[in-house]
Amino acid sequence: MKIVGVAACTSGIAHTYIAKEKLLSAAKELGHEIQVETQGTIGTEDALTEKNIKEADIVIIAADIKISGKERFHGKKIVEVPTHVVIKSPKALINKIQADLGL
Amino acid sequence: MNLAEIIKSDRIKLNMTATSKDEALKELTDLLYESGALSNKESFLEDVDFREKAGITGIGNGIAIPHGKSKFVKDTSVAIGLVKKGIKWDTIDDLPVKLIVLFAVNENDKTGMHVRLLSKMARKMANEEVCQRLVQASSPDEILQIFSGE
Repeated sequence: MKIVGVAACTSGIAHTYIAKEKLLSAAKELGHEIQVETQGTIGTEDALTEKNIKEADIVIIAADIKISGKERFHGKKIVEVPTHVVIKSPKALINKIQADLGL
Repeated sequence: MNLAEIIKSDRIKLNMTATSKDEALKELTDLLYESGALSNKESFLEDVDFREKAGITGIGNGIAIPHGKSKFVKDTSVAIGLVKKGIKWDTIDDLPVKLIVLFAVNENDKTGMHVRLLSKMARKMANEEVCQRLVQASSPDEILQIFSGE
């Protein structure tokens, strides 16, 4: 499946970036396409494109704070989790989403 | 961007004496203060404690990444400590923590290169193999090498 994600945490220094890497490597290992945007202290990086969002089967928001630009995902299926869920078991999360979507 | 700019041997302690989380945070804060990164260590520690209360910093695999975003940080930097016996910490896998990576970030340092370097270090710690090598590191140089590796 095609996944887009946004990662953000309280300080925007560490968890955001760990969560992103965990999502990327888990998705790759499970054979999914993924793009993850980070919203941290240093601003937004790897911003999702309209095309990314349009094509995505699912939006994963791994955040401990309110993210900006959530309206971009209007009409999409969204899964919201705190960063520690993604850091702890990224593969289980993705597998569950896949099962729920029946993809 | 070179991680050697931020991972300094005088801010790495591989034989920490701390037996609790509070002691470990204090020991690493002392390192940062002694090497000139902080203007006030007690106030910095309060900011670190504040972040600790906001959510767990034990990221599993024996590693914790406490961090303080604080106006008492002069130099955005990092202190790294190894406690061979392991100490109790709130972590995602309930395992004791051996390696503590304390990020000290200047509150106004929003786009600085050092903040970017810290996020690069954080990304590295998403890899389990990297984590396993870090907790077994035997020299500051080795720690730098592990973080710098591809």
